[in-house]
Amino acid sequence: QQQISGTITADGEPLPGVTILEEGTTNGTITDIEGTYTLNLQGEDPMVVVSMVGFKTTRIAAKGRVEISLDLEEDVTDLEEVVVIGYGTATKKEITSSISTVKGEDLTKMTVGNVSESMQGLASGVQVISGGGGPGASPQILIRGIVTNRSTAPLIVVDGVALPQGSNLNFLNPSDIENIQVLKDGSATSIYGTRASNGVIIVNTKRGKSGEAKVTFSASYGLKGLDKPEVADANEYARVVNQRAANDGLPEPYDLSTITESTDWWEEVYKDYASVENYNLQVSGGSEKLNYLSSVAYHKSKSHLEKGYWERATGRVNIDYSISDKLFLQQDFNPRYEHWENTPNQFWSTLRMDPLTPVYIPIDERQGRNEYSIYARSNNYVWNPVGAVNRSFNETHFFGVFSNTNLEYDITDFLSVSSRIGLNFGQTRNEVFNPKFVIEPNLEENQQSSVATRFDQNFSYVWNNLIKFEKSYGKHKLNATVGYTAEYYQGHYLRGSRSDIILNDEKFRYLDATTGESIQAQGNMNANSLMSYLGRVMYNYDQRYFISGSYRRDGSSRFPVANQWANFFSASAAWDISSESFFNLPFVSGLKLKAGFGQVGNQNIPSSAFLFLVSDGSYVFGENEDRVITNQITQFGNSNLQWETVQDINVGIESGFMNDKLTLSVDYYVKESKDLLFATTLPLYTGSPSDIMQNVGSFESKGLDISLGYNDKIGDWQLSALATLNTNESRAKALAPGNDQLLAQKQAVFGNSFLKITELGKVVGLFYGYETDGLFQNQTEINSHSSDNGKLVQPAAQPGDMKFVDQNNDGELNEEDLTIIGNPFPDFYAGLNVSATYKNLDFTMQWYASVGNDVYNYMKYFQTSGAGETNVRKGLIDEVWTESNPDATIPRLTVTDQNGNFKRSSDYFVEDGSYARLKNLQVGYTINSLNAAKIRLYVSGQNLFTITKYSGFDPEVSSGGIINGYGMDFGRYPMSRTFVLGLDLNF
Amino acid sequence: CEDFLDEPVRSKPTLTEIFSSQESVEAFVNGAYDGIMENDWWQINFFRQITDMATDDCWAGNTEQSRPDILTIAHYDNVDVGSTYFMNFWNYQFRGITRCNLIIQEMDNVDFDEDLKNRYKGEAKFLRARFYFELVKNFGGVPIITTFDELLKSEIREYVRQPEAEVWAVIEQDLIDAAELLPLKSEYASKDLGRATKGAAQAYLAKAYLFQEKWQEAADMANEVITSGEYQLETSFDDVWSVTNPNGVESIFEVQYRSDPTFRIGGVFGVTTGSREDGGWSWCVPTSNLEQAYLEEGDNIRLRNTIIKHGEPVYGDPEVTEFDAGLSRNKSARINRKFYIPTEYRETPYSPRNLPLNHILMRYADLLLIYAEASHFAGNEGEALAKLKMVRDRVNLTTDMSLTGDALRDAIWKERRLELALEQHRLYDLRRQKVNGVPRIATVMGPEGSFVKYNTQESTDEFELGNLREKQSKGATFDVDKHILWPIPHSEIVLTEGRIEQNPNY
Repeated sequence: QQQISGTITADGEPLPGVTILEEGTTNGTITDIEGTYTLNLQGEDPMVVVSMVGFKTTRIAAKGRVEISLDLEEDVTDLEEVVVIGYGTATKKEITSSISTVKGEDLTKMTVGNVSESMQGLASGVQVISGGGGPGASPQILIRGIVTNRSTAPLIVVDGVALPQGSNLNFLNPSDIENIQVLKDGSATSIYGTRASNGVIIVNTKRGKSGEAKVTFSASYGLKGLDKPEVADANEYARVVNQRAANDGLPEPYDLSTITESTDWWEEVYKDYASVENYNLQVSGGSEKLNYLSSVAYHKSKSHLEKGYWERATGRVNIDYSISDKLFLQQDFNPRYEHWENTPNQFWSTLRMDPLTPVYIPIDERQGRNEYSIYARSNNYVWNPVGAVNRSFNETHFFGVFSNTNLEYDITDFLSVSSRIGLNFGQTRNEVFNPKFVIEPNLEENQQSSVATRFDQNFSYVWNNLIKFEKSYGKHKLNATVGYTAEYYQGHYLRGSRSDIILNDEKFRYLDATTGESIQAQGNMNANSLMSYLGRVMYNYDQRYFISGSYRRDGSSRFPVANQWANFFSASAAWDISSESFFNLPFVSGLKLKAGFGQVGNQNIPSSAFLFLVSDGSYVFGENEDRVITNQITQFGNSNLQWETVQDINVGIESGFMNDKLTLSVDYYVKESKDLLFATTLPLYTGSPSDIMQNVGSFESKGLDISLGYNDKIGDWQLSALATLNTNESRAKALAPGNDQLLAQKQAVFGNSFLKITELGKVVGLFYGYETDGLFQNQTEINSHSSDNGKLVQPAAQPGDMKFVDQNNDGELNEEDLTIIGNPFPDFYAGLNVSATYKNLDFTMQWYASVGNDVYNYMKYFQTSGAGETNVRKGLIDEVWTESNPDATIPRLTVTDQNGNFKRSSDYFVEDGSYARLKNLQVGYTINSLNAAKIRLYVSGQNLFTITKYSGFDPEVSSGGIINGYGMDFGRYPMSRTFVLGLDLNF
Repeated sequence: CEDFLDEPVRSKPTLTEIFSSQESVEAFVNGAYDGIMENDWWQINFFRQITDMATDDCWAGNTEQSRPDILTIAHYDNVDVGSTYFMNFWNYQFRGITRCNLIIQEMDNVDFDEDLKNRYKGEAKFLRARFYFELVKNFGGVPIITTFDELLKSEIREYVRQPEAEVWAVIEQDLIDAAELLPLKSEYASKDLGRATKGAAQAYLAKAYLFQEKWQEAADMANEVITSGEYQLETSFDDVWSVTNPNGVESIFEVQYRSDPTFRIGGVFGVTTGSREDGGWSWCVPTSNLEQAYLEEGDNIRLRNTIIKHGEPVYGDPEVTEFDAGLSRNKSARINRKFYIPTEYRETPYSPRNLPLNHILMRYADLLLIYAEASHFAGNEGEALAKLKMVRDRVNLTTDMSLTGDALRDAIWKERRLELALEQHRLYDLRRQKVNGVPRIATVMGPEGSFVKYNTQESTDEFELGNLREKQSKGATFDVDKHILWPIPHSEIVLTEGRIEQNPNY
């Protein structure tokens, strides 16, 4: 007899529960909590088999050995990964719908503190549009194109609990996340019914595993640099203003010889670098009965201004406890605190402020002025941005607690019941102080200081009750879920403000220290509820043929009683061809075909959308000039309003090659919305005080999601790559009578033109305006720009003005000549992530690209026209048309702009917005030696460079409601380039 | 179970919930009054000033701030059809009409005193007529909407502009109804001072007839107001635009103000026309051409009550002995005295966004001159002269009682300018008054216009010639075939895909 013993580890960690078996016998044992075992062997020439689910089984000849210790290699083939789907889980192989997965470790490679931004390019079919570089900004997430004009924010589900509408992922500590699943098609999302039309993002947090306590500490510190937009200096600015006036026959306002000083407003307002910090401590472990994970994390990022930062502290405790063999308790607890010093938005002012104006008024003129009134006023009426930053006192504090409790009872080995309660409390406090200042009476001033405080309190709960059945009969496997859920949300707010603080000191910035007459109080409550019945059946035969169907019935408080309930169905199927006996392609390791159909709803409308709203105001009557109350209608209601429904068809293949070293998945979808909700602008003569919410028709969105993965180990090299490529096109398929042109994005500077149009059969939300055809070089060209009947199209034009195309050739330039001038949607967008490990060295690179999209560069209006005497981009004086610069593309300078160069929306403002951006580059080095601890050091750079022809500040733009805002560059805090130094400690 | 889904919208009453008592009906009627001056939102009612800038009485004025959107309209120099001023003014008149339509339609569903109901209805009709009046005199024919229900039908999107005559018919009928339903000024309780009266409805009806050249009807209707004995001229012209004399004996209809920053009540014209050195914005400043008109007439009383000049004392404000009109920033270095608040009546702290001065829209002198003009054209020169004399007597001017024919007509027209200057009437007078079928605006503006010639050839005004950042040639590009009406807002034409047609030549 021979005794062997040893320790089984995985990744250096002791692994309990590993089976050690003498081959061909029933003689065996399992490892204990320290991963150790002892086994007496019986055979002559024994072979030992070490196995554990999820790891590669190893056979070792034991003859003559007393110790066999192993580090097991994980054996998770892609298809056996467990995927969390709505109200349940399934293996990846069983999935018949379209789901993208992002691993938590990939998210933490981006040191941004904000989970959704890290997802960019990692999940196929998911478009993440940056919310700008300001601290705590939240990006927009767009899953598979646009079929709604409402918010495109997907439903967020954290550990089985659906969060209230309007939630974003900012609150999560990225290090707490195990993985994220994005449910993209209707057959996956239908089980979430009315809340799922924008897709569903399921976040699963990390949980403790049995074994010794593991401690992880990570810290990183980074600096965000900002690209400085270059604008004209005082001399150039004065030349631009003079030339504008001279071209119009007006006196030149500036004598260039007197200009000696120039203010660089960007330098005065923005700092070159701002810091970003992350700290995270995590402890996890457990015994047979109890597993735990506990973490605490802190993030802080600053703005580039004197004011503005965001900090977030989160804690998390996740506990799994087996009360008995059949009864299991999960309890998660996630308190958090967030604090913003709100970043003043001075981007526009800084660029437009004239450089002739100094920052401060001379010292001898400051007498009698308070500290906020010592700033100089600009002649171009832009408010002094340095002054604006210094008097910005606006802070927001958020306190929140999320609790998630699940109790599961296994009635038999195939039937279980569970009940989950998710509770979410949040309180936001906003404090604003507006100091009194007078830079110029009645122009740049605030006559009374004021203090305002606002409290928001919200509470929501989700209660899910499920019965699950899962059983295999031979080759048949059936999986069924039925459930009942209830969701409730309520929010309250209370706001008060009052004028005149007694003393201008921080300790008096509270309502109790105010004395003024102007007192305001506001408050309200809103609540909504959702009640649902749901069911799903999944069946497969021999892991080859899969079908799945789901049903959900939703009742929502947001609709009138008659319309409260709706039903949603889905059906999908898949066929794993590679499991068929006839399938025998040596290099193809997996091939699955799938198809699905599903319906979802969109209840995401303001609760008051179908009401006529009335507001009150004041007027005066009588000898004593008494104030009387007035009522006026402020919104036209629409009693016929219905909810929007979306249904889609998805077909796809999933395949693996060369033992899944290469994986490829391709999905094609057609998604159609019905009864699309759109805020339409009625003709002005209706006297409607607001846009009116209407069901205007149907949008159809089609696209391809392609994802190509590569994983291999070559010697000491571990290589992996993931490329995603997506196309999408959304068109207006049907539009209700009277709504055959959906116009949006009205801009005063362009004569109240609408810059966006949606027309039947065309791509939604295209850019709208006049087509230009270069600049007139001389009067002859102006005279020859006429209609067939000889009428001059632009009689007021002068050489150097834009030539606009007279589309209907009637000799007049008017509304009939407006046309489509650009498409904001890309031909495709793509992500590429490459990572490599060589021994102790690791390397990651992440790219993102958007190709073929146009951007409406609204900033060009100010930057190249000087309208309103605002400052212009550097070098403009040499770029504008003059007789000596006839090749210019920028029209001549003019004050009155008789030709309307800058009074019309035109293709002059539309540019190719394609770009490719290196989102992240990281190099790390791991030191293993120190007392079993593992130390990893890394440097990373984010947004290192961008390849683009776009002339604006950042091609990654979006603003406003999604169709209407998509591709509009209104100029905002640009993306920053970040350099980070980090440390991970594991022991 | 069903209760769980019952979550009403809080704090937002539905229309039927709130439109349910006499008090709420009154509040809606008050809301229609609040719409007369576009809720005193300066960005909207600034348009009213632009109309004065587009005459010989005012310059655009502010030469510091570059605002081509204002300048090009004021100068008739490529008038911008996309201007926000046109768009908002157009939209806000229709918003006012909608408020009135709602009141007229819904009031019958509420149960309260019939007399009061009739008065409210009269007020709503009076106000609706005023909104249409504002539209027709600026834009010509417009879509006509007289009920609230039609707004909710899909056909509302098919509406087109109706001929001017149709709009006038609506205005006349509303004013006739209002005159029937409304009490006299003297019949109102003192707490209701400022509401629409029978006299106001009749005065506007007279004006509506005058605009349509229905001379006899205009004279007859004006005469009804005169014989009612409800109104008289202020003894002193100083008291017409006086912050201490709200709703004076001469006032027929005026917008009611008090200075109340808390509830944002108060006028803004005193600010937008005020001197930059006095917390104002220096827009719509009086021309030297207007000043000359007073000087030629020897009309010192109205001159000092109409124009404040740089470097001179402010009449009626003993604390200002040398007024600073902001020379370099103000085209003419003159300021409108009518909207000026004397120092002693300013609140402390002075809140220049909420001025207490009521804004007079219709006064007895205007009505007398309507009567005089209509009488003249109706062939009753004696009556015309008598009323002209009344207006001139008050400001110590003698009247040549031998005037007749075109000379009398011209004297009445000149009197309207001198009496009503800077009160936002001038443009519409110049548009409707015709010599040999040619609107007078075409003789004032245009390359040969009297105002253009004055500025480019005759003027010796040191202030105006010393500040050329606003061009002296204002109005030279006036085109009578185009500029006799303002353009329909560009966005309205786009929104209706051209169903609402543009005015000629824009």
